[in-house]
Amino acid sequence: MHATVLLAHPDPESFAHAVARRAVAGLEAAGWAVDLIDLYALDYPGAISPDEWHAYATAEPILDDTVRSHADLVRRTDALVFVYPTWWSSVPAVLKSWMERTLVPGVAFALEGPKNRLVPKLTNLKYVVGITTYGSPWWYVKLVNDAGRRTISRTVGLLARGRASRRWLALHSLDSRSPEHRQKFLDRVEREMASLR
Amino acid sequence: MSRRVLVVFAHPSRDSLNGAVLDHAVNGLSRTGHDVRVRDLYAENFSSRLTCDEKRGHLSAPDTKPQLADDFADLLWCDAIVLVHPTWWGGQPAILKGWFDRVWASGVAWNLPEGASNIRPALTNVRRIVTVATHGSPWRVNAVQGVPGRRIVNRGMRAVCHPLCRASWIALYAVDRVSDSRRRRFLRRVERRMARL
Repeated sequence: MHATVLLAHPDPESFAHAVARRAVAGLEAAGWAVDLIDLYALDYPGAISPDEWHAYATAEPILDDTVRSHADLVRRTDALVFVYPTWWSSVPAVLKSWMERTLVPGVAFALEGPKNRLVPKLTNLKYVVGITTYGSPWWYVKLVNDAGRRTISRTVGLLARGRASRRWLALHSLDSRSPEHRQKFLDRVEREMASLR
Repeated sequence: MSRRVLVVFAHPSRDSLNGAVLDHAVNGLSRTGHDVRVRDLYAENFSSRLTCDEKRGHLSAPDTKPQLADDFADLLWCDAIVLVHPTWWGGQPAILKGWFDRVWASGVAWNLPEGASNIRPALTNVRRIVTVATHGSPWRVNAVQGVPGRRIVNRGMRAVCHPLCRASWIALYAVDRVSDSRRRRFLRRVERRMARL
């Protein structure tokens, strides 16, 4: 079994980096092969380029070797694990950019027939996992919005055609949490990832 | 009443339907005598990635981030914001999400008082937000996805603006399939709505 872990945080000393390390440790303990994609470390572009936009609807929507290697991973991986801090209720721009550039027609979905029927292509996925921290408390996230979760669990999850199990691990009110509380969350991340089969 | 309107455009091509939307929006706004500033994020090569220093200093005063001084000034100058963008993966293009992540910063858009777990509004100069969005997918698909992009702006971001700030969403769905006359009607509608702002 193979997992692809996406990490989107600019600070190598961040809590998100610690979360990603523990997620990888849990997966590897359970016998998974893991590819960790640290988007900031790759200096990953923060937007789809004009050339890529023009190529989007063609037979060759991918113009870049890094994107091509990520698309190859997505086509064969069993689990997509997103690790990020929630900013403005959603994913950081660089992670959104990764979705726009990688999950293109022919990789995540196909448009078929005269009516451009949407055909899901992420059917290899067994798990779609989101692990995130929120600055806001739990009730605020529920009340106002949880756009990041909707983007990952529903929008990406839809293209797995409902076959993938969706997991969501969240730590709320990050800034006011004690070190013990954070530690407990890290333990939970590792435990949950180690339980994926 | 004449308003100061900040128009933020987030599409890689001016020769697109979104480019036409921008032209019609600006025409409508100018006709009514509004003072308009346009920010074309792609043309400016705006970097959407919040940097490590910006993250570490995310509670610091705006004057510690001179690289964003012009962006902060625009945000504090306006009393209405018009966002023009396509919808990708249920939400704003990464480049616009990055404008939220970086420019809607502490001391400009919000404040976090010592010991508080939730941010307080600071962008009380903004009384109106209008989004003009195009969607590749039909309305139905957006409803299933939960329209995460609309939630980010109409709930999350409006909450840091003036308490009476109104937010509205003008959308064209299934853009690849609609007729030319339908598109023209949409553009006229955008212009009319902007003239009435």
